[in-house]
Amino acid sequence: MADLLVILVSAIFVNNFVLARFLGICPFLGVSKKVETALGMGMAVTFVMTVATVVTWFVQYFILIPFGIEYLQTIAFILIIASLVQLVEMVIQKVSPVLYQSLGIFLPLITTNCAVLGLAVLNIQKDYTFLEGIIFAIGAALGFTLALVLFAGLRERLELCAVPKSFRGTAIALVTAGLLSLAFMGFAGLVKG
Amino acid sequence: MKLRTFKGGIHPPDNKHWTSHKAIEDCPLPDELVVPLSQHIGAPSVACVEVGQHVAKGQEIGSAKGFVSVPVHASTSGEVVAIENRPHPFGTSLPAVVIKPDGEDSWSSNLQFTDPGSLTSDEVIEKVRQAGVVGMGGAAFPAHVKMSPPPEKPIRTLLFNGVECEPYLTSDHRMMLEESERVLQGVALLQYVYGAERVVIGIEANKPDAIALLKKQCADAPVEILPLAVKYPQGAEKQLIAAATGREVPSGGLPMDVGVAVHNVSTAAAVTDAVMLGRPLIERVCTVTGPAIREPKNLRVRIGMPLSHLVEVCGGLVEEPGKIILGGPMMGFTQLGFDVPVIRGSSGLLLLREEDIAKSPEGPCIRCARCVQACPMNLLPTTIAAYARRDLVVETEEYCAMDCIECGSCSYVCPASIPLVQSIRHGKAAVLAKKRNALL
Amino acid sequence: MVAAIALGIAAKKFAVEVDPRELAAMEVLPGINCGACGFPGCAGYSKALVTGKAEPNLCPPGGAELVTKLARILGVEATAMARQTAVVLCQGDNRKAQLRFRYLGLEDCNAAQRIAGGPKACPGGCIGLASCQRACPFDAIEITADGLAVISREKCTGCRKCLAVCPRDVIRMTPYESSVHVMCNSHDKGAVVRKYCQVGCIGCHICHKTVPDAYKVEDFLATVVYEQDAQAFEAIAKCPTKCIRDFNEAYPEGSTFLPINNDKSDAA
Repeated sequence: MADLLVILVSAIFVNNFVLARFLGICPFLGVSKKVETALGMGMAVTFVMTVATVVTWFVQYFILIPFGIEYLQTIAFILIIASLVQLVEMVIQKVSPVLYQSLGIFLPLITTNCAVLGLAVLNIQKDYTFLEGIIFAIGAALGFTLALVLFAGLRERLELCAVPKSFRGTAIALVTAGLLSLAFMGFAGLVKG
Repeated sequence: MKLRTFKGGIHPPDNKHWTSHKAIEDCPLPDELVVPLSQHIGAPSVACVEVGQHVAKGQEIGSAKGFVSVPVHASTSGEVVAIENRPHPFGTSLPAVVIKPDGEDSWSSNLQFTDPGSLTSDEVIEKVRQAGVVGMGGAAFPAHVKMSPPPEKPIRTLLFNGVECEPYLTSDHRMMLEESERVLQGVALLQYVYGAERVVIGIEANKPDAIALLKKQCADAPVEILPLAVKYPQGAEKQLIAAATGREVPSGGLPMDVGVAVHNVSTAAAVTDAVMLGRPLIERVCTVTGPAIREPKNLRVRIGMPLSHLVEVCGGLVEEPGKIILGGPMMGFTQLGFDVPVIRGSSGLLLLREEDIAKSPEGPCIRCARCVQACPMNLLPTTIAAYARRDLVVETEEYCAMDCIECGSCSYVCPASIPLVQSIRHGKAAVLAKKRNALL
Repeated sequence: MVAAIALGIAAKKFAVEVDPRELAAMEVLPGINCGACGFPGCAGYSKALVTGKAEPNLCPPGGAELVTKLARILGVEATAMARQTAVVLCQGDNRKAQLRFRYLGLEDCNAAQRIAGGPKACPGGCIGLASCQRACPFDAIEITADGLAVISREKCTGCRKCLAVCPRDVIRMTPYESSVHVMCNSHDKGAVVRKYCQVGCIGCHICHKTVPDAYKVEDFLATVVYEQDAQAFEAIAKCPTKCIRDFNEAYPEGSTFLPINNDKSDAA
């Protein structure tokens, strides 16, 4: 139980996927202009990450290893993630067209989001059991959502500031992201490793 | 003993020493009176006299249009020389009835004394409406409308505003000192109409003489004299309610939502005149003050007197004024010149020199949050102003721009001289325009 | 394999009908979302196009080229709208026109207008606090050092955002081909205009008498009749307040824009 908690806390805060591992920067910068959109994206990614972990775990241990085709890991994982994202895209388009519009191009980009692939691969690398894998995925997704929402809040505030002309837009966003990342380093040491 | 107060607020220098000790003086009649048909919140009145007609003092010259409107009366006897657009304190030219006084100054003949005990509550309200009584604190809201709350909102507490928190102004102070009987009679009349359980007159602690006098006169009456901490804007309705009753008027709501009604003490005096003497509201006390006027005074002026006349009566200008304000320095209306008339809500005429209005150029917001601390309505002026200036209407409304009472505390404290109140007003106008467009 | 089948089923179940022409239209539209077509952004316009609610010639920034492309996508015939450009019909900067009061507030034309009708004595003149400049997505508007807004005929795409934001209605849409304009927006009588502006129109009718077809005078204000303005330049010299300007000769005083001389006018 304690191990699961450690995995969770580590994934959310200490080794935050976006701010510590620097994965998934594309949607981090692209979707974080408004808090609502950031939340929506975060939830979509949570779903994809969790289901992706489940499926990839099964595929790894019941198809790839038994058949000795571990080298197909990358291709197989990407295939699975792509299909999942397609599914999510279709569901969102039907259920909430507004969210679909505001996420725009970034929704299909979850496919190539290194965070999702990274999660799947890390799971295997760390030799997690099925349950540990799921907790890790949930933690990673929550951490991703957290980073996104925090950043969106900061960006909404930045809208109101008189930013010097040369820094406006992406430049100040990146500087802020760097500072947020530094802040999260304060969690280092909370969990060993 | 700690005095009751509200959260937030500022302490501008009160500058009341110019006139607080000066008794009210009657202002002589000018050559021409310009009585605007729109002096109050609500629909403007419609002229009901003709050019060339002779009118008596107190005669109705403009009839009310609709419920939230009051009639307008001649401030003296004389001849109607014109009914045309004239410069108005609101900045544009609006219809007004121009009267040439005949010097007689004779009241309309059908005024008589009425024993208030013989009147029903509705009759009192009707008399108040016919007399054109509006809020004398400056907002000029028709009193009869305030006195007719819907039956599902009973008034338990009746508050009287003797606070006069605006710097420089002393008209209410002098009214309480010199005409306390008229004020208290009005308090009793209004209590009769509302039937409230508790009656309070709130007075700021910088008027100890008024507090002492009224306390003495109300010793046997069920009226509470409540001294309040000296802070701007204690005299604002919602802040007065908070200090006197501890209740908070809900966002977008009115005092009647918390069972309270608030009236200015000068309005109470006007109610006495209206009900007992049948006299319409044609005059008021106006504090003419400021460093640019030679002899600051508390003048009893007639509605329609041009500001130029008031300046003359007060000894003229010391120097060319930098700013002419009708009202107080925080919430008054800046005027373009002296050719506008006094209206019912004009509690003061403030003349400032060029050096008094020196303004530093606007700087960037440093997020010092002084405006947030000062705001008596618990809003975030800096955020609302920032959204309003970027025309982000949805966010402006979300941050409660519509709850702003435009008291000016935020602009006053801002170290960067950012025009916060103007920006918030800009935002409010955008929110209202959006609501209107949505209804179309 | 399994995934492919599953996706195929899901695609059918969750299908949302999208007209392929709509996507094609979205691709050729400029994508600025300026709203000049009258629809909510380029996406809104595409939708309206394919549902037959809009003509293909409503997008000014896209120009004639876009109209042809859209017509091809929709399979219809279309003619382009004549190019229009916005003009600020005022030359009364702070040196030539009087102010009623010193305005010390928000640098925004709408905010200034709300204070007693604006700091300019002229009720129709340009206030010069740059609300139009901020609204223009194409950087086509500049404010001269003396507080007058001037619009570049070349950079203006006719999106109309400046018109929407101006509280004085002093900006007008005019045909690009027309370069002569009466630079005044005040309907006050001549004597009144003379008091507050050196270059305002006084309604003297001289322009109309010189070239009757090209000018009409209504309510003390002359305007160019753009459909028949071929000879309008002849009245420029005759105007007593120098109120008429040919933008092919020069932009208003203080402006940094330079005219690109079309060969349309053969006036010296």
